[in-house]
Amino acid sequence: MTDQWVTFSRRGVAEAVHLKGEIDLANAHDIGRAIVARTTTADAVLIDLTAVSFLDSAGVRLLDLIVGELDERGKPIRLVVGERGAARMTLQLCAFRNDLFAIDLDRAAEELGR
Amino acid sequence: MSESGGPDVTSELRLPWDDDPEDLYEHAPCGYLTTLPDGTIVRVNQTFLDWTGYERSALIGHLRFRDLLTPGYQIYHETHYAPLLTMQSQVHEIALEVVRADGSPVSVLVNSTLERAAGGAPRVIRTTVFDATERRGYEKELLHARQIAEAAEKRVRVLQQIVADLAAAPTEAEVAEAVLRAPEPAFEATSSSIYLVDVERDQLIAVASTDPTTGNWDDMPRSSGRAVAEVARRGDLHVVHNLAEADEHFPDLARTMTASGRKTVVLLPLTTGPAEEQAGATVLGVLAFSFADERELSDGELRVIRLLGQQAGQALDRARLYDDLQRREERAAFLAGTTRALDEEHRLLQRGRRLVERVVPEIADWATVRLHIGSAGLREDAGGPGPDEELLAERITEVTRSVMPVFATDGDELGCTVLPITARGRVLGTLSLRMAAYRRGAEAEQAFLVDLADRAGLALENARLYEQERAIARSLQRSLLATDVPSGDPRFALETHYQAAGRDLEVGGDWFDAFLITPNRLAVVVGDVVGRGLEAASTMGQLRSAIRALANAAGGPARLLEGLDLFCQRVESARMATVVYGEVDLDACELVYACAGHLPPLLHQPAGSAEFLLQARSGPIGTRAGDRRRTEHRMRLAPGSRLLFYTDGLVERRDRPIDRGFEVLNREFSRLRGAPLKGLTEALSDTMVGRDHGDDVCLLCLTLGAEERLERTLGADPLQIALLRSDMRAWLIAHEVDQDCMDAVLLGCSEAVANAIEHAYRDDPFGVVDVAATITGDAVEIRVTDHGTWRGPGQSRGRGMQLIDEAMDDVMVDRGDGTTVTMRRHRGARS
Repeated sequence: MTDQWVTFSRRGVAEAVHLKGEIDLANAHDIGRAIVARTTTADAVLIDLTAVSFLDSAGVRLLDLIVGELDERGKPIRLVVGERGAARMTLQLCAFRNDLFAIDLDRAAEELGR
Repeated sequence: MSESGGPDVTSELRLPWDDDPEDLYEHAPCGYLTTLPDGTIVRVNQTFLDWTGYERSALIGHLRFRDLLTPGYQIYHETHYAPLLTMQSQVHEIALEVVRADGSPVSVLVNSTLERAAGGAPRVIRTTVFDATERRGYEKELLHARQIAEAAEKRVRVLQQIVADLAAAPTEAEVAEAVLRAPEPAFEATSSSIYLVDVERDQLIAVASTDPTTGNWDDMPRSSGRAVAEVARRGDLHVVHNLAEADEHFPDLARTMTASGRKTVVLLPLTTGPAEEQAGATVLGVLAFSFADERELSDGELRVIRLLGQQAGQALDRARLYDDLQRREERAAFLAGTTRALDEEHRLLQRGRRLVERVVPEIADWATVRLHIGSAGLREDAGGPGPDEELLAERITEVTRSVMPVFATDGDELGCTVLPITARGRVLGTLSLRMAAYRRGAEAEQAFLVDLADRAGLALENARLYEQERAIARSLQRSLLATDVPSGDPRFALETHYQAAGRDLEVGGDWFDAFLITPNRLAVVVGDVVGRGLEAASTMGQLRSAIRALANAAGGPARLLEGLDLFCQRVESARMATVVYGEVDLDACELVYACAGHLPPLLHQPAGSAEFLLQARSGPIGTRAGDRRRTEHRMRLAPGSRLLFYTDGLVERRDRPIDRGFEVLNREFSRLRGAPLKGLTEALSDTMVGRDHGDDVCLLCLTLGAEERLERTLGADPLQIALLRSDMRAWLIAHEVDQDCMDAVLLGCSEAVANAIEHAYRDDPFGVVDVAATITGDAVEIRVTDHGTWRGPGQSRGRGMQLIDEAMDDVMVDRGDGTTVTMRRHRGARS
């Protein structure tokens, strides 16, 4: 169902979530469920937003929830957003913490592995 | 004797007939009795005494007349004789029985008269008695003879009725029923049973009995030693007169006779020919009837019984022929019906399904068809419960290898018939079925099953070939249609939709295409090739390529159609294809088009309503009867115009005349004017024809240039927001809005629409959101309006409003009747 927007892979210790396309009110809920199903037991999570062409507040709400949950469990998370792009803009407009952002997926994976 | 005592001289003088009265009284040819009114005998003549052997003295004064009668007649005397005499004073010819002195009865006829005194009181009764012994004997004989005649007549009537019933009984079962009913009324039999010969299975089948508790009620082989089988083999009537006789010849019969309390049994073979020609007669069954008492059967009765056997045999024979004929007819009808039913489906799986559904329950209670087609094979089951799967798999393997049917037989553990399904010398698979036991073994039944499997093979092979061709045609069509149409050019946007026919029909020859002839010139085509299937699909591919090859900057649509006319002289299958072809000058916003027998394009310019383009029409490609003078029409299009090309499947519907179809299309296209371009063609197809339609539908919609002002109306559905963004993104690109501004505007606009859907229309799925966007040299302004009841930004949408505020420069929310959010963002990156 959600495969067109979300796929998963393993990067070192981290579970990597690759998001793609437009994430908005219409699909955020389903995507959220797919992500949570894979990350609840993960030791570290990388969410790759570089291929996201649009992100609205429903998507922001979803990311906020995932970050909050991992913080509570004391597990690290990074949002890989690239240098520019719609996702980065939205997240910055929402004033997400800078320490959550990463530019490059592999580098972020390395950092989490340390 | 004379009173004077002297010799009676007068005696000599008497004439012989001049009787002495005394002597006449005493020796009259009948008995005389005189009794008192109470019956006491006071006088009796000698004749009576001679007949009865009584002494005069024993009677007179000692006995009453009634005392001389047998007990039965004493009652009769009291109830009839005496009252009648009292009333009428005389009675005549009353039949009575007198007991002689030695105790033996003698039949008499009696006349009596009652003498009355002057006052009318009874005084004396005089009675004459006649010997009626012989007369009564005659009467009894007569009665007996009449009874015999009546019994014979009754028997004949019963048999006549049975013969009439037999003649009217069309089936074996009804004949058996009629025969079974004969022995009880005709011969006073106690019960009867009927057995019929099953030639195929070489058995005698017990079919019916008026008292099934009697007898050994099992089917038996024709070679059995049992009495019924013996008689069936011999073909002649056999009467077992008593138990001893049965004991001697048929111990089995003796046992059942003892058990059911029968003394005499008749075993009657039912034969096709007269009994005299036993050699030529065939025994079709045996009628057994029995009597609770020992019964002697007269020759006449035996003759009638034999006749019954022949009549019944002939009726059975006729019924069997009739049954056979009927069964043959039923089988033929079933096969024809099956072929027809299979023909109604085109797809392989559906045909397999139809096959088992025909077979169950009509001829089997369970069936499965398994085809060795595709990697996984194909399987359809019906009815149940199925047999042991392992045994079945083994049998199927065996049948597939030997290509020979294996029929179910009695005692076979699997209990199913497995038939190979073949076509063109190849085993496609198997049909397995379980039939009722009585249908097993019959040769006609086996031939019928083989015929069924053959027909199924042909139908399934055709479906397989169809399936194959269909798959090739579909993939060919898909590969031709899937080629990306040009996109990413801000000067135009294209939206296409192809919907295959809903009911598993073959692929049609509809297609669309769009390509750039020069960087500034866009060609758009929709066409329809005659016919369906693989040939139509490949012709469509050739035509499509031909159009791409013929299109050039200098030619134009009319020249191109002329080129196609030439082309179809080489590719005959392209003849009579219809094509609408247009070229658009993207800079000048000018359309030139031509229509070769195709439905007119539909144009909606930003101002005004939609209109069909009816110029530049000529006949189909390669037409002989139609107008082949290819013309073209040139027109300017306002930026923001939408042009729709489509095939006939969109407007033609069986339940709607085509002109009505055009009307509906015009209205729907106008109604969707405000809808985002993305998804428009699909939505149009859904509204016009629905999903389950009989024809392919092909649409191509071109939006030309950027509208000055973007106006869209959305349903309250989150999925619509993405469609709006797509339109708006294209519009912003067309107006050369920078990336930062575009991202911000898309975000702000999406959030505002999402707010309206989530809050204003929380309880109203039919609500609409209006979006209007305008652009100036330095800014983009968006207005989002809903007409719902605002519930106030809840916790979750708080971030939405916050995002709008952050992304846009100015935001104004106006709550009146509904809510209007007006947002503005300057062009260029933020400082």
